[in-house]
Amino acid sequence: MIVLDSIHKTYRSGATSHTAIGNVSLTVNAGEFVSIVGPSGCGKSTLLNMIAGFVAPSAGSVRVMDVAVQPGQVPKRLGYLFQKDAVLPWLTVEQNVGLGMRFAHQPAAKIREKVSALLGLANLRGYEKYFPYQLSGGMRQRTALLMTLACDPAVLLLDEPFGALDSHTKINLHRELHDIWRQLRQTIVMVTHDLDEAVALSDRVIVLSGPPSRILLDRRIDIAHPRDPYVVRETEQFGLHLRALWAVLGKEYQRIPDSAGQTLEPAA
Amino acid sequence: MTAQAMNASDAVGAASAASAIERRSRVPLYQFALLAVLLGLWEVLTRVPYLIKNTFLDPFFISRPSLIAQQLWSWTFGARAGFLLPHLMSTLAATLLGLIVATVTGFLVGLLLSQSPTMAKTLNPFIVGLNSLPRIAMVPLITMVFGLGLLAKVVTAWFVVFFLIFFNTFKGSISIEKHLLQFCQTLGATPRQLMWSVRVPSALAWTFAALPNAISFSLVAVVIAEFVGTTKGMGYLIVTALSTLNATEMFAAITVLGLSGLILVAIAERIERRLLRWSPQFNER
Repeated sequence: MIVLDSIHKTYRSGATSHTAIGNVSLTVNAGEFVSIVGPSGCGKSTLLNMIAGFVAPSAGSVRVMDVAVQPGQVPKRLGYLFQKDAVLPWLTVEQNVGLGMRFAHQPAAKIREKVSALLGLANLRGYEKYFPYQLSGGMRQRTALLMTLACDPAVLLLDEPFGALDSHTKINLHRELHDIWRQLRQTIVMVTHDLDEAVALSDRVIVLSGPPSRILLDRRIDIAHPRDPYVVRETEQFGLHLRALWAVLGKEYQRIPDSAGQTLEPAA
Repeated sequence: MTAQAMNASDAVGAASAASAIERRSRVPLYQFALLAVLLGLWEVLTRVPYLIKNTFLDPFFISRPSLIAQQLWSWTFGARAGFLLPHLMSTLAATLLGLIVATVTGFLVGLLLSQSPTMAKTLNPFIVGLNSLPRIAMVPLITMVFGLGLLAKVVTAWFVVFFLIFFNTFKGSISIEKHLLQFCQTLGATPRQLMWSVRVPSALAWTFAALPNAISFSLVAVVIAEFVGTTKGMGYLIVTALSTLNATEMFAAITVLGLSGLILVAIAERIERRLLRWSPQFNER
């Protein structure tokens, strides 16, 4: 579904050059939920931006649904959720959710029907006429998720989508995302700092090293679905996976001073 | 959050809003009281012989509210009924025309330049130079080129207001958040749809925010153009009052201008509030 083949990314500024991503190859199968974790500055978000066609790799190739990704062109049926919700502040919730369908010139009746169904799915019924500033952060992020889902994405990229939310809102959104994914079976790649979140939701967790980043660990999370994000954290398997991942990630955190990570992250 | 919880917090908000309205409803009272005190002082002090003789508090210089009221009455319904209206209309027409032309052109140029970094960089010194010029210095030239009629006034208003609208729109369009554009691209927006659905509305928000200021500037510009050369308008009334050293006529014209400004800005704020009703800045409390 998504194939990253020997990806390199080098940034040049004057005479110095900095290799952010050193050889990353990764295949994500159809319907799989894969999380990418790693220290700041390891190019996690850059990888997502490459899959979406916003950033071109310096070397290597990206294919989505068997089509080579062209820089500057977003692959068809690809949804992308950012950490900062990207709802349009001058549109109401229902106008926002229907935006992608309006871009595709779908008939108004069809848009109305689908928007209404989606709002039900994310417990946003009753908020149709609200403007984003009237909603909580969690509700805005849910609206953004619905905007994406209205376009029937086959691939969903999530860049720390819950990073700005409090833990209670976060876990409730985990449950909603998990339910939606169970129903619609998109291929999901999520970048996160939160190891708990990665283990609770994913089929696989990839640990990246600091720059020049490569894959340190590709671990299958063999906890049976459906998972309840509240209950799964109490299971023994959850702790086992968490410890195994932390053994690698924690060592990497220690190896790289945290302040360096911030300055190394290129403005993508 | 459930709908019920939301309603509950709305109710709390409504209660505190009610007390805020109560507090605000007294504000007009205070405003009238202040106005009455100022007018009263003016009226009384200009009747004290000692002050008239030794200070500027002489009705010859600063007139007196009762005289100004009589003058206004005479211009509207009294001896010279119908005298004021054509002058006022001429000034207002030029103000609104100048505002509209400046808003449209300022918006278009701001949006256009924000899309082309090269053009923006090229034009930058020219725009900054023109903008830092004391624009009032151009009024005689504008009058020379465009004559003594409506056109010169509209051009003056345009020249003053254009930059205000232009800078606001330009800043608004370049400060648009990149992830907003990228997100809409993933929703399938074509470049054209990005323009109409994201860039234009986001720039318009900044344009609208400049409207109340723009309308004040437009009125100021028109009156100054009328000082320089015209045969009609509130500025013309003030200049003719100067030539006959008639402070009462001058203050009558100034009063009309002040009230017009208040009303125009109130209307502009209303329009802004309506157009930007999605923005939290108009919905606080």
